[in-house]
Amino acid sequence: MPWMLPTILKNFFGGPATRLYPAEVREPFEHARGQVSFNEDKCTLCGTCVRRCPAEALSQDKEKNELVFYPARCIICEVCADICPRKAIDLIYKWRLPFYTKPVEVYKPRGKESGKAEKEAAATREPALNN
Amino acid sequence: MAARTTVPFGPQHPVLPEPIQLKITYEDEKVVEVVPAIGYGHRGIEKACELNEYTKNIYLCERICGICSYIHSVSVVEVTEKLWPVELPPRVKYLRTIWAEMSRTHSHLLWLGLLADAFGFESMFLQFWRIRERVLDLLEMTTGQRVIQSVNVVGGVRRDISPEQKKTCIETLNTVRKESEALIKVLTKDYTVKSRTIGKGVLTKEQALQLGCAGPTLRGSGVREDARLTKYDAYGELNYEPVVEEAGDSYARALVRARELFQAIDLQLEALAKLPEGEIAVRVRGNPPANEDVMRTEAPRGELFYYAKGNGTRNLERLKVRTPTFANIPSLLVMLPGCELADVPVIVLSIDPCISCTER
Repeated sequence: MPWMLPTILKNFFGGPATRLYPAEVREPFEHARGQVSFNEDKCTLCGTCVRRCPAEALSQDKEKNELVFYPARCIICEVCADICPRKAIDLIYKWRLPFYTKPVEVYKPRGKESGKAEKEAAATREPALNN
Repeated sequence: MAARTTVPFGPQHPVLPEPIQLKITYEDEKVVEVVPAIGYGHRGIEKACELNEYTKNIYLCERICGICSYIHSVSVVEVTEKLWPVELPPRVKYLRTIWAEMSRTHSHLLWLGLLADAFGFESMFLQFWRIRERVLDLLEMTTGQRVIQSVNVVGGVRRDISPEQKKTCIETLNTVRKESEALIKVLTKDYTVKSRTIGKGVLTKEQALQLGCAGPTLRGSGVREDARLTKYDAYGELNYEPVVEEAGDSYARALVRARELFQAIDLQLEALAKLPEGEIAVRVRGNPPANEDVMRTEAPRGELFYYAKGNGTRNLERLKVRTPTFANIPSLLVMLPGCELADVPVIVLSIDPCISCTER
């Protein structure tokens, strides 16, 4: 007990160690992985992210021109953002708020129609990491 | 002769966050026999790793354990890299060492808190966990996530530590050291703590070697054995010497972890100071060749062993994991008989059981 006394006194006069959460929110760190965002203008529906996603959180339908994202399955591992050849996927540092029903996000990629964006991206393409 | 009673300890027990059952036979209050039963948390991860592409194994193996997730990802990545083999840039080795030691710091802080909780010292439990938050914040700042870092890829790492982050890391680590020192003093000097741990669950050096224990359980019995002595990653270039205690009781194992906590902070500071410039990833081409190799790493709980066999396709033919708790459970059969009923939780906790690792 006497050895715990300095800690007890420090806590007694030091104020609370926690935040008043809903009122006071700590900003996420600059490079924290919050959630994935898709840019429909750049995406060409090449399917690389769908094949490489370890959590099977993405699927595509080429006939309907749809990229389907299941956020509840996503583990925010950053693989899709790393390997996307058009850099159409980004990570946002803000985390996703809790949900009651599992959301499904459907994207309609337009990257193929605007060939200009494709050419631009191809010119600045860097080799993706082997992940 | 006193009557014998068999009482199941677990699979649901306040001291165990994970399911393991120990069928303990008591004679009055003394333990006479222990039969462990595992298998409550089997998820079939090894088989799933054979069906996955090798790049996806990283994210699966990270989820073998929630506390030592980083060391699992290092092990699976490095055993896969050994199949080519891939020559890693020195910065990658240092970054992996820093994060591995960071996860050791938070794991040991967690365990010290749980130990305090096991003998009813609730305030010390929360004080340790408060310090641990700082380390988790550092992990979030440098890797992007707090628990499952997902920062390793085959051939390198995904995130770098910038000079500003390095400065914050050094400041925070010094604070963590200062705050931990105040609490470790309670652990080493307080009468209550000593009376609950000294002489409880004694494991002699011979028994520890015979039962094949690993990690702090082995080092607490006076054996100088640590996978970091194999000089993987940057450990060969850092000033590293295993922490060894001779007594072999629960208190010695607590001291090993307490001293390793400070050693891990020292190793991080040293690695941050020596951090070389350069690439953080190299491109690896093709599939893992038909080859086999092993990797030994030191997880917070002991030696972690990975075996991988490639066959030239995108899938590994076999990935075998041997975790430290699997090696340490047999030691309970020697430690528990002879002890009192009330000491069982502390002794079980003193090996730092991680059942989800053991069963995968």
